[in-house]
Amino acid sequence: MKRGLWLLASGFLIIAISLGWWQLTRPLKEAGDPISVEQALTTTTALPIPDPVATTQPEASPPPAPPSPTIPRFTIGEQAQGHDRVPVALQIPVIGVEAPIVSAGVDRNGEMEVPRNVSDVAWYKHGSAPGEPGSAVLAAHVDLAGQGPGVFYDLRTLEPGDAIYVTFDDGTSDAFRAEARTIYDKTELPVDAIFSRQGSPVLTLITCGGEFNRSLRTYDSNVVVYAVPFGDTPINQPGGSA
Amino acid sequence: MRKALMTLVALTIMAMPATALAQSSDGTVTVVHGVPDLTVDVYVNDNLTLEDFEYGTVTDPLTLPAADYDIDLRAANADPASDPVLTQMVTLPVGANATIEANLDGDGAPKISVWVNDVSTIDTGNGRVTVRHSAAAPNVDILANDGALFSDVPNGAEGVTDVPAGDYNVKVTAAGDASTVVTEVPALTIPEGTNVIVYAIGDLDGGSFQLAVQSISGLHTPPAGVPSGTGGDLGTGVPVWLFASLAAAGMAILAGGVKVSRRRG
Repeated sequence: MKRGLWLLASGFLIIAISLGWWQLTRPLKEAGDPISVEQALTTTTALPIPDPVATTQPEASPPPAPPSPTIPRFTIGEQAQGHDRVPVALQIPVIGVEAPIVSAGVDRNGEMEVPRNVSDVAWYKHGSAPGEPGSAVLAAHVDLAGQGPGVFYDLRTLEPGDAIYVTFDDGTSDAFRAEARTIYDKTELPVDAIFSRQGSPVLTLITCGGEFNRSLRTYDSNVVVYAVPFGDTPINQPGGSA
Repeated sequence: MRKALMTLVALTIMAMPATALAQSSDGTVTVVHGVPDLTVDVYVNDNLTLEDFEYGTVTDPLTLPAADYDIDLRAANADPASDPVLTQMVTLPVGANATIEANLDGDGAPKISVWVNDVSTIDTGNGRVTVRHSAAAPNVDILANDGALFSDVPNGAEGVTDVPAGDYNVKVTAAGDASTVVTEVPALTIPEGTNVIVYAIGDLDGGSFQLAVQSISGLHTPPAGVPSGTGGDLGTGVPVWLFASLAAAGMAILAGGVKVSRRRG
């Protein structure tokens, strides 16, 4: 009896110590190699994938048109304001994500607000909504001290072709297809492109990754997945055969 | 119809910040109609560019090469060769974002005003509100959520300030007299990264006083980053809490075992 207890306790200790040692010595691993920009661009849909090392604004302006001899006409249009639809839920069946989306702005540091709840996904409400022109940004924690792994813990394993579903406040749902995944050092995150409000619609999913700084309690990198609309074909059931 | 004065206005713009909206050799022009009871055709360099332009209307922005332009306003469907109701030469500098407004001066006489829009970058999370007094009305105060935004604004003047993006209750009151509300907008939305320009137009005594709104978006600053992990669980496959609790369990059992053995020994 006594002997059994001792054995059990020693077993637990050995397991715990080995796991701890393993964690401390094991190099931090990123799942798979980042998909190259070239690879992503060979897909049928042209994507505004930013260069991972570029810090310049990738939204190149088209060359100015030659001055026309006649003056173009003024038009009077609707002054569009606000979003037609607000995203409220996210599903990524392949990594088991099924999470509510909350609207988020900026925090006191001028960074994007990410919810304190590790199971919520944040949508950057000042930018584009999913499906609108520009890049719609959804961010969530990879993990949170005290709460453990977050809803985007497995984002780094998403592969091109994986399906992503966004549900909106009007009950409609849009399907997106992952096109590229990359990891950026946080100091080189191409925020101008990621938060662009112009160009063809891109859904951008962001979380943390890379090396964890234990004293600052932050990761040094961001894992970013770019996705594009599947098309106008409505998908009835995310993950289903519809 | 009154024959208007011919004046030359040069937009003096000191080092306007470059913006995404303006090409290297172009400027941007928007036209606002603030003269009540007068529908007009707008001519630019003798080209008819806008027909049946009505009071209270704001055009979309138009990108034009930086140059001098003759702006003529004639009554709708008037002979293009007839004398214009209002005429103005406007210099559009490179990179400028300007609004040309037909409006009333403080005495109720129609004129053409040229405004330079602030299209400088706005801090993350903020929007910009611009208020322009271009009505035949006394000086006004502008209140946002019942706090003073701009005070004692005369005809021909504007106020510009950046505020956190959101909805604001905006009141226009007689200067120094918050109880005399000229007009109120219950919820004016100031979107992030957008300059919302509100024009007070018309004739207060004549009952045509109203507001017109122009919006210039795309002035935003992206967030500086995305802080999305504080746990340090990534890359281990085994969360920190798992081996911590295993170790704690082991220690507890070990301690218990020692206790038991001592008691028995």
